[in-house]
Amino acid sequence: MVNLERRDLDLKVSMKSKNNKSLELKNPLVTASGTCGNGKELAEFFDINQLGAFTTKGITVKSQSGNKTPRIAETSAGILNSIGLENPGVDSFITDILPETKDYTLPILANISGYSKQDFITLAEKLEGKEELAGIEVNLSCPNIKGGGMVFGTDSEKVFEITKKVREIYSGYIIVKLTPNITNITETALAAEEAGADAAAMINTLSALKIDIDRQKPLLANTFGGLSGPAVKPVAVKMVYDCYKKLNIPILGLGGVRSGADVIEFMLAGATSVGIGTINMIEPAAGLRIIKEIENYMLKHQIQKLSSIIGAAH
Amino acid sequence: MFKIITNEEVGPDIFKLALKYDQLPQKPEPGQFFNIKVSQELSDDPLLRRPFSIFDFKPEEKRVEFIYKVVGKGTKILSKLKNGTELDVLGPLGSPFSLNNMNKEINLIGGGMGIAPLFYLAKKLEKQNADLKVYLGAADKSELNFFENKFSQLKADIYLASMSEELTIKGTALDLWLKKLENKPDFIYSCGPEKMLAAVEKEALKNNIIGEISIEKRMGCGIGVCLSCSCETKTEDKKNKRACVEGPVFELGEVVLDG
Repeated sequence: MVNLERRDLDLKVSMKSKNNKSLELKNPLVTASGTCGNGKELAEFFDINQLGAFTTKGITVKSQSGNKTPRIAETSAGILNSIGLENPGVDSFITDILPETKDYTLPILANISGYSKQDFITLAEKLEGKEELAGIEVNLSCPNIKGGGMVFGTDSEKVFEITKKVREIYSGYIIVKLTPNITNITETALAAEEAGADAAAMINTLSALKIDIDRQKPLLANTFGGLSGPAVKPVAVKMVYDCYKKLNIPILGLGGVRSGADVIEFMLAGATSVGIGTINMIEPAAGLRIIKEIENYMLKHQIQKLSSIIGAAH
Repeated sequence: MFKIITNEEVGPDIFKLALKYDQLPQKPEPGQFFNIKVSQELSDDPLLRRPFSIFDFKPEEKRVEFIYKVVGKGTKILSKLKNGTELDVLGPLGSPFSLNNMNKEINLIGGGMGIAPLFYLAKKLEKQNADLKVYLGAADKSELNFFENKFSQLKADIYLASMSEELTIKGTALDLWLKKLENKPDFIYSCGPEKMLAAVEKEALKNNIIGEISIEKRMGCGIGVCLSCSCETKTEDKKNKRACVEGPVFELGEVVLDG
């Protein structure tokens, strides 16, 4: 057998869904919403077009100033955040942020959040037909806003209802982002699939608490936060593994990825694409390093097509 | 690449860190900061970088200096690193102090570790022939010795306050400044605990004095992507500003301070 060289490697993945929609990515790396701004901050450090896809900071119908600070705390191998979806609202997003993404050649995904079914309907209507977008990521899992996000994501019926409504309105690619704060994630994942989602993203952050022992009070102003970073990775990998055999739509796996090895692990568990989040906050150009590390793995194991390893651990 | 050339104690739990760099993406200005990864390769603890404002910058030696106090896990790890250690550093980041104060009367008011970013600023102001008055305060005199020594090398009047003993006065940097506030300065710069900054701002605005403050806020990324360090503003549109990008330097009266 001829030895593979770097130029022979094929990192492309295809997020083909049951609905005959697809997201074609030149590599599996997708930025995780809220850890990469809207692109221009990271673009100062590297060419973000080298990634698979970019997910924008979560947007809501109206503008929000977010939670009180402190909004971030550190734990062992992880961080807790309670940003609270600070964003300028969907109208500003469309007039100010979307045009800025025109120069990018990679697929752009808009992450949307809401407090009611109507919010998601409004957001889907406003984003329908927007050419700058390759798709939307429906966030049914934000732990940091009251009365929305995760409240829907822990209820399979609500996941079904909202996804179905969004599907009726939005004709592009739909990813539903799921919460790990639930007994059995396969139920909400299946509900999303049945309602017409093109892909399931998992996981959002784990609901968590850190107490400042000197003040003897919760450290975050919002009391609770969402845990992310290397600490959550094994939890996320298991959830991807659990869902892979049951779902007929592709999985965007994420949670604590910071190396090529982590991406490979998620793919072996069953993820077609893999999100990078917290690592971008520490190492803005981490994506480039991770791509190189994936290639090194492929060379070492003589794997020509990266997509051939999806679900291989089963 | 950044390499440690000095990492020595210059006061109680207070360290001077000097780094030598190969190249910088841009010239650092007073008030900006560098974001340093203190955990070494393959360690996730602590995960985030630590932001440190610039204490001094010596381009002829390719050297940038920081003063930090050991207060938690990150600074403790940093304080143990030896000369020659290579560090993963991002910067300069953030918005600097403005420097358009030729020949003016300037007051610098620094409390505790908030004194650190005022030194590089003072050096620049001295070059502009500013009439500099420097008000420095700390809980204990021993925390001021190093700074007193450094600032006394500049053409500036220096006043000191500590809570532990009578220097120029016994008290805080704020008490000290208020006591001397007979001649209204043209501009002030201040850095220190948020409560001190809130009080400085209140007095300054009352006396129609303009100026800038540098604030400390718990940061995530330091590059503007995570919105952890958002500050509420008093501007008309109430739009939040990020301490790491639009700050850490803000105009007096620009952001909401916890007083």
